[in-house]
Amino acid sequence: MPGGRRCPDCDSTELVEDSHYSQSQLVCSDCGCVITEGVLTTTFADEGHLREVTYSQSTGENEQVSRSQQRGLRRVRDLCRVLQLPSTFEDTAVAYYQQAYRHSGIRAARLQKKEVLVGCCVLITCRQHNWPLTMGTICTLIYADLDVFSGTYMQIVKLLGLDVPSLCLADLVKTYCSSFRLFQASPSVPAKYVEDKEKMLSRTLQLVELANETWLVTGRHPLPVITAATFLAWQSLQPSGRLTCSLARFCKLANVDLPYPATSRLQELLAVLLQMAEQLAWLQILKLNKRSVVKHIGDLLQHRHTLVRKAFRDGTAEMEACEREVQGQRQGEEEVGDSSLDLPVRKRPASPALLLPPCMLKPPKQLRPTPPVCTVTGDENISDSEIEQYLRTPEEVRDFQRAQAAGQAAKSLPNP
Amino acid sequence: MEEEETYLEFYLDQCTAQDEVVPPRSPPFSPVTSYDVYIPNPSNPEMAFSSHLKDKETSGDFSSVDLSFLPDELTQENKDETVNGSKDEVEKTCKTQSHQSQLPLPKEQDIDLGLNGSGLSSSQSHLHPDDADSVQPSPEKPTSDPLPLASVASMKPMTPVSECSGIVPQLQNIVSTVNLACKLDLKKIALHAKNAEYNPKRFAAVIMRIREPRTTALIFSSGKMVCTGAKSEEQSRLAARKYARVVQKLGFPARFLDFKIQNMVGSCDVRFPIRLEGLVLTHQQFSSYEPELFPGLIYRMVKPRIVLLIFVSGKVVLTGAKERSEIYEAFENIYPILKGFKKA
Repeated sequence: MPGGRRCPDCDSTELVEDSHYSQSQLVCSDCGCVITEGVLTTTFADEGHLREVTYSQSTGENEQVSRSQQRGLRRVRDLCRVLQLPSTFEDTAVAYYQQAYRHSGIRAARLQKKEVLVGCCVLITCRQHNWPLTMGTICTLIYADLDVFSGTYMQIVKLLGLDVPSLCLADLVKTYCSSFRLFQASPSVPAKYVEDKEKMLSRTLQLVELANETWLVTGRHPLPVITAATFLAWQSLQPSGRLTCSLARFCKLANVDLPYPATSRLQELLAVLLQMAEQLAWLQILKLNKRSVVKHIGDLLQHRHTLVRKAFRDGTAEMEACEREVQGQRQGEEEVGDSSLDLPVRKRPASPALLLPPCMLKPPKQLRPTPPVCTVTGDENISDSEIEQYLRTPEEVRDFQRAQAAGQAAKSLPNP
Repeated sequence: MEEEETYLEFYLDQCTAQDEVVPPRSPPFSPVTSYDVYIPNPSNPEMAFSSHLKDKETSGDFSSVDLSFLPDELTQENKDETVNGSKDEVEKTCKTQSHQSQLPLPKEQDIDLGLNGSGLSSSQSHLHPDDADSVQPSPEKPTSDPLPLASVASMKPMTPVSECSGIVPQLQNIVSTVNLACKLDLKKIALHAKNAEYNPKRFAAVIMRIREPRTTALIFSSGKMVCTGAKSEEQSRLAARKYARVVQKLGFPARFLDFKIQNMVGSCDVRFPIRLEGLVLTHQQFSSYEPELFPGLIYRMVKPRIVLLIFVSGKVVLTGAKERSEIYEAFENIYPILKGFKKA
């Protein structure tokens, strides 16, 4: 190779520029002596940049993958790192994303959907490893609406044929409770509000289990129940100082958002606790209400299994018995118009209440009177008059057209 | 007897023909081949013989025919493949095979099948007096004895009442489509009809409503129409005909082709609370329960292909059916599963 250089060993002019594992070297073709070496890193065609090329770019692994898919995979990895998930989760989530991308419906979807798909893959991975991640959290992280997210999530579960286990309630309680800023005194949290984490966790878990047993969790979003349970647990551990604090204030102190249904979950949980309290001899005489029962939550939780069994009878058998009873009564006297389920509770307040979901305990809605079963064959004659009633007369048509034209004219007038 | 000889010859002829030709009738699920004989499995040559025989003879009296060669499994197969003995079901199967029956084929489907249906039902009622309650049949009740005129046909025992749920889902909504087969001027329809609304920027169809039966129709400029809101198949058909009549009166040459029920929605109440978390654990391949998204459990039943929404209060919504019987069948399938979750 011309250039005036000679091999230092054999003085040959036959020098060849060769690359050894992407490192360029000037080699003597006679004796094999390496005269100069280039840098191991390569530069772009525009040498002025002198930038390093990453491994993924120098190998061919991304050549088959479209740019939007690459972007999505990067987002999946970033999301996993933000959530501080174990590294195995990252690989699984990436695999799900790639699997989803093989379907033409996903490839052709809008960017918004692809963005939401990132969240779906991470959520499915977490669910399958029993990592408690709520959809609300994912939606806030990827700036998506819950309804858009839900559509994509249901679609992708069906498309990939995945088996996604339910959210693990116990783990969710632990992670959610740990996020409450009540375990250390701070300017916003007075000393009497500070609580021990372990005690609060165990009591919250017990309260959530109680809620689950008494039909307060099925069919409802799990988070508000846990918020209400955490609040009650916190209050009951030191009732003297904390009864004055409301749920909203509690959440503000703890730096946690108050979910809207939490107040009604709180009321339902207190009602259950009151029912249980009526079965404890030393609490019966105290005539507790929703505020005072908080002081005795510790006792109630200690004996919760027996109390639930005693306080509530099986809803199903009782419902049929009640209905028969009410029917018998109805034959005799006039009914005030209450539900058959409400009646025994009101007439005999001391007896056990029905263990039913709250939606079944409410009085049934006034059903629209079912129209009489008219035997329609579908082939009846349709009278002309019946059809005429739906048609406009020529005068009405003219009036309507005139009104429409006037409306259009008014709209087209420029605003003053 | 010579009668038997002729029939035997017939049978043998048919058998040889049977070997190469697939029997022209029988969608596999439908037991009705000709209009008064239930033959569940016509691929069986012996069955085919009877069906072909019926085809040839309009009103054959078969009491003298020796049908003892028919296998005993006839009853079992009939039980497995038998569908609801609902009038609509029978009418429909009759309709699909109307080209094979001896009844006159209506040229257009707007001539109602009532003629066929009533003819069929009368023969049915004659043969199955105990099956008179065709309005709300229980799918577990057997439809009929397969060869009503034959002495050999064995009766299936009726399933005891305790197996039935005793609850009948009520139909809440029927969606049907029909082709009016003419191009429509939607602006003209919206102008001349009082009960129509048309906003082309929002949706490219006229939305028309009638009071009786209380329904809504979407009428497209291609002449296709969707009718929703009816509570029964007949009401849906009547409503669709009324909409077609309105369009006719507005001056368009509307016809009534290809009326088809596309979806039926039913609902009922089992009257006990259901542990949805338990149900999703045991039936996870069919169920989807996401309390963060929707309070009900979505159960996708495979046979019949129906989607059920099951709620904690015990209310069940069934949708995706093309036939009333599918809704009833789906509910009868889900009821024992739900009963298993009655006790918490």
